[in-house]
Amino acid sequence: MIDKIYSYIKDKRHTNIFFTVLGALIFAIIPLFTDVEASYLIYFLFLTFIHIVIAQGWNLIAGYAGQISLGQNAFFGLGAYTTALIWLHDITKTGYYFDPVVMILSGLAPVVLAIIIGIPLLSRLRGDYFAFGTLGIGQIIIVVFLKARAITGGADGLHIPSTVYESMMPYYYTGLLLALFAIAVVYFITRSRIGFALRAIREDEMSAASHGVFILKYKVLAFAVGAFLAGIAGSLYAYYLFHINPDSVLNMNWLFYPILMCVLGGTGTIMGPVIGAFFMTAIFSFGDVYFAQTHPIVSGVLIILVMKFMPTGIIGLKDRILSRGK
Amino acid sequence: MNLILTLRVLVNGVLFGTTYGIAAVGLSLIFGTMRIIFFAQGTFIIFFAYISYWLLTLLGIDPYLSLIIVIPASMLLGSALYYGIFKEAAANEDKNISLLLAIGLMYLMENFMLVVWTPDPRSVVTSYTTLVFRPFGIVIPFTRLTTLFIAVLTAAGVFIFLKKTLIGTAVRAASEDVVSTTLMGINPNWVNAVAFAIGIGLAGVAGVALATIYPFDPSYGFIFAIKALIALALGGIGNVYGALLGGILLGLIESLGSFYVGGGWADAISYGVFLLVLIFRPQGLFGGSIKKA
Repeated sequence: MIDKIYSYIKDKRHTNIFFTVLGALIFAIIPLFTDVEASYLIYFLFLTFIHIVIAQGWNLIAGYAGQISLGQNAFFGLGAYTTALIWLHDITKTGYYFDPVVMILSGLAPVVLAIIIGIPLLSRLRGDYFAFGTLGIGQIIIVVFLKARAITGGADGLHIPSTVYESMMPYYYTGLLLALFAIAVVYFITRSRIGFALRAIREDEMSAASHGVFILKYKVLAFAVGAFLAGIAGSLYAYYLFHINPDSVLNMNWLFYPILMCVLGGTGTIMGPVIGAFFMTAIFSFGDVYFAQTHPIVSGVLIILVMKFMPTGIIGLKDRILSRGK
Repeated sequence: MNLILTLRVLVNGVLFGTTYGIAAVGLSLIFGTMRIIFFAQGTFIIFFAYISYWLLTLLGIDPYLSLIIVIPASMLLGSALYYGIFKEAAANEDKNISLLLAIGLMYLMENFMLVVWTPDPRSVVTSYTTLVFRPFGIVIPFTRLTTLFIAVLTAAGVFIFLKKTLIGTAVRAASEDVVSTTLMGINPNWVNAVAFAIGIGLAGVAGVALATIYPFDPSYGFIFAIKALIALALGGIGNVYGALLGGILLGLIESLGSFYVGGGWADAISYGVFLLVLIFRPQGLFGGSIKKA
């Protein structure tokens, strides 16, 4: 029996699944041993899970399909606002607080936006130009949220009733589930025909097209999945914040942090963003606690050092060490 | 009255747009040789605005006079940055590494400035800050006019450098084809360093110019970088001459937009124009049909 399990793990195809399941089990029992309401660890992990979800979304569109999107914070913010708006306007008539319907709708709103803007942008813009286009869209959305005061409350934003808050428990487990969901989504997409198509597009668009890959369809698909993940993460974060405003959910950090996590861990790999998310969130949290004012400087230095000395990320570092031995 | 008001808006647009223009020329040069958008440009502009603020408040050096110090210092800093940080990444096929280095640098500088100079807006106030000319009822502040002169002089300087000198020719050649240029015996590192030096040098000029006309705070850098990027796209990415015109055009769009539609929306309008240009005229409004990137 043990032999069988061991050989199953030894198989390279299964290591990712094994570690994900193992990790999930460990994280699932952590709250049993800690004081959930007071522990900083729980908050830290909750934040990490949210980052994993967004980072995996970006990983799919940028790491696998090679299209650098700089509009993820707009999707994240849209997800958060959708949750708040559905709740405040009593639209779905369901429970609202940690309601799956609301969360899925909050993921779908960015998908609709991603499809609407993705078709013109992805059909006409490549490489850097696509990145700038998405950056422009993100900025326009921020202006719209600031200006549509009647709906979004302008700069002050929206308040959802915080009296429903009982415990950190549902946040932790929903975060964990969403992170697992994001990892699974990206894992299964990249191992299907779609994944092959996406990688073909990343390596050489012209050649992919001439082999019969419908480029626009796959790019928009990846863009939409990325938007869905960002939106659903936004929804969860909205439940945590209770006060949604452009400053908190449309912040550029929601764009840069996930990108950094992907790059640090290794883009275009399934575990890279996860490792990156843990690493970066740890550094940010550590900095927040110990040198509150200067920690962003340290983070900036760190980004530069990592990109200078290990440009392929932590996952790539492993490969480099292994290849050195050969 | 209305005509004069419109004229005033137009003049102000052009005058402010020149600052975007200088920044965009810098971006364009760095993009030409390195093939990345140097996002930290805006943050460096604000950094040099603070330097000129310090030179004025601590040492009493006039902001325009401080250009004599700021320009060489910023050019040195530019080449040091290239050799210190970007050199290895520039040789790498994957341009994202350079892009992320730039983002990291931006993040570092912005937060450094937040710690050193606090998030409160600062402005450089001199005896001539309030000096205003009124030709035909159009109000033109002296500092903005000077900015226009500085911009035109700087741009002319860069153009002459690119056209007439051997190094400038090498930079232009590298923007067109890095591989061939390297085969011709031009050291790509050297060309990149020159482009970086001029790019950061232009950030120095833009920073001093900005300091004299506008209050600034550290977070303004990123916004400024995006504005310069829009100017660059309007003029055609990789087109040094178009970049200055693109900046002026962006200044006009913003000025007209905020006057006729309202403050915050002006940003949305300029991003909208940016998107339309990217989609329908990716070579820029002033360029021919040369395709680089």
